[in-house]
Amino acid sequence: MSITVYVPPPLRVYCGRASEISLSASTVRAALEELERSHPSLYINICDETGKVRRHVNLFVNTSHVRDRDGLDTALAPGDVLTILPAVSGG
Amino acid sequence: MPERVIVSIGTKKGVFVAQASKTRGSFALRGPFGSGVAVYSTLIDPRGKPTLYASSCNAFFGMKVLKSTDLGKSFKETKSAPTFPKDDGRALANIWSLEAGDGKNDLWCGVEPASLFRSSDGGDSWEMVPGISNHEHSRKWQPGAGGLCMHTILRHGNRVHIGISTGGHYLSEDGGRTFKASNKGVGAGFTPDPYPEFGQCVHKIAGHPDAPGRLYMQNHGGWAEWDGPGGRRPGIGVLRSDDHGRTWRSIAKGLPSDFGFPMVVHPHDPETAYVAPLVPATRTCPDGSPAIWRTENGGDSWKRLAKGLPKKDSYFTILRDAMDVDYLKSPALYLGTTTGQLWIGRDGGEKWDCLFDSLPPINCVKVAVV
Repeated sequence: MSITVYVPPPLRVYCGRASEISLSASTVRAALEELERSHPSLYINICDETGKVRRHVNLFVNTSHVRDRDGLDTALAPGDVLTILPAVSGG
Repeated sequence: MPERVIVSIGTKKGVFVAQASKTRGSFALRGPFGSGVAVYSTLIDPRGKPTLYASSCNAFFGMKVLKSTDLGKSFKETKSAPTFPKDDGRALANIWSLEAGDGKNDLWCGVEPASLFRSSDGGDSWEMVPGISNHEHSRKWQPGAGGLCMHTILRHGNRVHIGISTGGHYLSEDGGRTFKASNKGVGAGFTPDPYPEFGQCVHKIAGHPDAPGRLYMQNHGGWAEWDGPGGRRPGIGVLRSDDHGRTWRSIAKGLPSDFGFPMVVHPHDPETAYVAPLVPATRTCPDGSPAIWRTENGGDSWKRLAKGLPKKDSYFTILRDAMDVDYLKSPALYLGTTTGQLWIGRDGGEKWDCLFDSLPPINCVKVAVV
């Protein structure tokens, strides 16, 4: 099933300047695994080498933060948008 | 092309590069590069076509290594940064040291959590050095206030000295294949045992290529008044070794404090070294009056150098990599502060001038003549 990954501007340099990537995945975890295969230099900005999503990176499925759903096991439906966003922080 | 003095300045908001002629009359500033992202380590490799490197420690998207081949007019990311093997369990949190290896494109890199990586292609690919990264002590090292950082890599022939906070001093005598903790005489203030085998909070180690047996260490001092288990530990903060780091002894007598971060050796005289004493509790300049202290006899005595520095109301911190010295005939010291000032200490620190007074907080300063 095809979903869209929205890539924020600071990370587009790692995926040929694309703002969106289409891929097939049934869960957020599967989407990240697909990104690791297809766009490894983008993936390493989202997850560290243990596979954990970086502390200051947020993932949303449509408008819901994955932590408010089932985390990386959150199911994806055709047409869903998985948005990658850096957390807002000051300093 | 006339020789130029290049100063790389790693800050909380990116890396800056300052350039001057050999007279060091005035410096032009470029940057910030990698802007908005903290830089904890830089390297100016003067061999062949000079190359600048900077670690870019992005709290959002992880660590990068930046590289410039045009003297810091532009920087590009290398193809990769160090990464732990996937099944290791550790994740890269910071890059604390970048040093040149033997070959033109060889780099050594110390990271947090304390581990060592090497590159043989100018930072495009990296390999973990297991002899220290997977040392039997490595999972027992503890983070200090700055994190569990490998901040010092000193090499001379087959000898490699590593400084870890908190882990201590480790010595390899086989080119980095194997390492042993080498902390005899290096005290620790935060353990009941004043002289443990390892686990000391070493802040910086410095040496001189012409006298490889002589090393200086700024250790975590400030324990003279400790009245807990193990008793008082005066003078453990500033140390010297005359046997390649196998044993160490205090040279703190005469300093206003044995707490500090950087330690720098004069480029033409291994007997001359510089420290920046700070108040242990606040990590700021004693009495609000900053000064660099110089020994010219290997630590037997110290002289206060403060001409031109503020006389009062200055409470900045000088971090472990925020002081360096150039190697011109009459060398100048360069000093970065957490309040964003870059100072030059001409004539070996006899006379200080502020080159830039409103940079972001400065983490590290390196200088080279290229």
